[in-house]
Amino acid sequence: MLKLFEKETLALESLSDEQTALDVKNLSVRLNDSLVLDNISMRIPKNKITAMIGQSGCGKSTLLSSFNRMNELHQHYAYSGEVIMDGRNIYSKKENVAKLRTQVGMVFQRPNPFPMSIYENVCFGLRIQGQSERRELDEIVEQSLRHAALWDEVKDRLFESALLLSGGQQQRLVIARALALKPEVLLLDEPTSALDPLTTLHIEELVSQLKHNCTVIIVTHNMQQAARVSDYSAFLHQGQLIEYSDSDSLFTMPEKKQTEDYITGRYG
Amino acid sequence: MAKANKKATDKEMRKSKKVILNAQQKQAVSSFTAGLSAAILLIALISLVVFIMIKGTAYFWPANVFKVTTISATSPSDTGQVFVKSSVDQAEFISALENRLETQFSGNKASMPEFEVEQPTKVYQINLLNGDEKLGVFSRLHTQSGQYEDIQRLAKIKAEVNLLQADLRSIQDEQLTVLHRKIANLDQKNVEQGAPARLHELELFDYWQSRADELSSQIEQYSIEFTDAMGNPFRVAVKNTDTLFLPNQLSLGDKFAYSASKIFAFVSESPKQASTSGGVFPALFGTVLMVLIMAIIVAPFGAMAAIYLHEYAPNNKLTSIIRICVSNMAGVPSVVYGVFGLGFFVYFLGGSIDSIFFSEALPSPTFGTPGLFWAALTMALLTLPVVIVSTEEGLRRVPEGLRAGSYALGATKIETILKTVLPIASPGIMTGVILAVARAAGEVAPLILVGAVKFAPSLPVDSDFPFLHLERQFMHLGVFIYDGAFHNQTNTQGSSMMFASCMLLLLIVFVLNLFAIIVRKRLRDRFLRL
Repeated sequence: MLKLFEKETLALESLSDEQTALDVKNLSVRLNDSLVLDNISMRIPKNKITAMIGQSGCGKSTLLSSFNRMNELHQHYAYSGEVIMDGRNIYSKKENVAKLRTQVGMVFQRPNPFPMSIYENVCFGLRIQGQSERRELDEIVEQSLRHAALWDEVKDRLFESALLLSGGQQQRLVIARALALKPEVLLLDEPTSALDPLTTLHIEELVSQLKHNCTVIIVTHNMQQAARVSDYSAFLHQGQLIEYSDSDSLFTMPEKKQTEDYITGRYG
Repeated sequence: MAKANKKATDKEMRKSKKVILNAQQKQAVSSFTAGLSAAILLIALISLVVFIMIKGTAYFWPANVFKVTTISATSPSDTGQVFVKSSVDQAEFISALENRLETQFSGNKASMPEFEVEQPTKVYQINLLNGDEKLGVFSRLHTQSGQYEDIQRLAKIKAEVNLLQADLRSIQDEQLTVLHRKIANLDQKNVEQGAPARLHELELFDYWQSRADELSSQIEQYSIEFTDAMGNPFRVAVKNTDTLFLPNQLSLGDKFAYSASKIFAFVSESPKQASTSGGVFPALFGTVLMVLIMAIIVAPFGAMAAIYLHEYAPNNKLTSIIRICVSNMAGVPSVVYGVFGLGFFVYFLGGSIDSIFFSEALPSPTFGTPGLFWAALTMALLTLPVVIVSTEEGLRRVPEGLRAGSYALGATKIETILKTVLPIASPGIMTGVILAVARAAGEVAPLILVGAVKFAPSLPVDSDFPFLHLERQFMHLGVFIYDGAFHNQTNTQGSSMMFASCMLLLLIVFVLNLFAIIVRKRLRDRFLRL
């Protein structure tokens, strides 16, 4: 009777391996000799949207970057723990990092299209993977741009510079660029913080559509946004995972005092 | 309360106003100083260019001819008349001549001879094929069949001479050389002196030799007789003359046409008369070729070094020491590079190449001698720091977000650098190449040591395999000017040719820079519309 919306929420504690996209086990990360992530363990469900919330500097972006090993670009970086994806530890020595990053796409805070045409931007990852057949590329470009809800706006100017697009269009182009590789997981690092409210709404709609194709993990400062788009939410504070549950319960009846303080705006 | 508030704000405003006034004054002073120094710089630059232009264009402009008659006050034997060329008008010319005579007579105006200056209309300037010039009044044409007073016949006579010369050349090329080779062949086979085959060849050789002698003596008979300022006759062989014209009767249009042809000859011919006339084509060609080869060497090496320093090298003391060394390398005197190039490239590397690949040609060196490639390599070394520094500057300007974006799409480090970073940094590389080209085109001291010569018998590019001869010595405009400026100080024509060469050098540097700037602009438009 209460199930007005047929929203299926799985209990996080009883996720099977098939329902898990990423399984984080005791992950700790040090950057510049300071502990940024402290012994995080969490399971991220497949084809759902998981939001990471928390204060600035609480480690949510670092956690996000540990899923595609982008942290390794830092000079002073150390970690311990495991992240299991498809039954393998992505931190094992055998892991091909470049290949991993095609499976785990990432979109950054500021739109960063390459100074090339729209078409070439979307093709970038495919070309690096050695795909060069024109017809296939055309198809994937159209598909990705459609998924990113950008196709109708740019279909007549695919070969113009991507830098001529507006900020919101650029951000969607960057999402399309990541989608072109058909990733299993898509990491969004505050994708709307540099955009205006209307464009933000566009992107949010887009994100809620994306979960049909892949698992989405989104970092955001905007509590309403997290509540609106996500199925699950994790609250981090000073490198620790304080609370992690489905968004409805986390935002309506948080279990921990810290979480409640944060979402009611008492600090942060 | 409100009143007090207003008072306070008023006071504050007054205070701030005073500060603004001060700032304005400061700005006015600093902008005036900056403007002044910019103006001085601009004036210096413009006066340099104008000076070189005026001195240089004199080489192309047909000069007026004056007849100067000196009447000595002391001894009548000093009296004489000469034709003197001067591109300036008469009044100025006389004052210049006075100065010259004054210095000649050690500043003693009393013993200075008097002189008269007139501008004769009938004086011809005869440009000889060997680059020499003569001035004289036409008297008659001498030909095989007689003498003519009419200069209009010259064209016809010239055509006759050309025909005869073509005959002579064909005899020399097709008969005499062939016979000579045959006789040499017989010599090699040790055929006896009296053998009929040898006699036959010798007979033929004698026959053609006498034909050739006959033809050349015929050609010798064609000459033009002129008289100099004193009225003494002199002859110029028709076969040696290039052009002749009346400089004092040229219209403005004629003068421009003459200048144009002279400019064309300047950039397309070889130097004549010990680099005081003729053209500078080999030097022009050598300069451009050397600079291009250098750019081809320095751009990839500089870019690679900069990529290593910026992208791969760990951020430690050693790297910063390397960086400091690179910047200091730009300050090393160029002649040091020249000596290094001579010692390391020419003698060590070139010597090693010779002993490994060209050992059959030793002891005459192939690569173990100064040449085009070593010069280009030395100049590449000299300009490497410039390219490294500006490429690194370009790499630093690539936004971090683009690198991250590239990595996030599964690109490895090398793919990120090649596909994302390098295209965006390419204008920086071009800036380095522009600076390198400007420096290499103007350098003289190291080039003298490693391959540039004042006269090269052949161009480094010709139709013989492998077409580009990197081991050959070459001519360079800077070296040409340096050499000419030392040896032609007293020769007015020679020194004006040096200025003309300076003008050309400036023009080349400008054109090469312009080319590189256009390329950079295109790259910027393509990659940096952020």
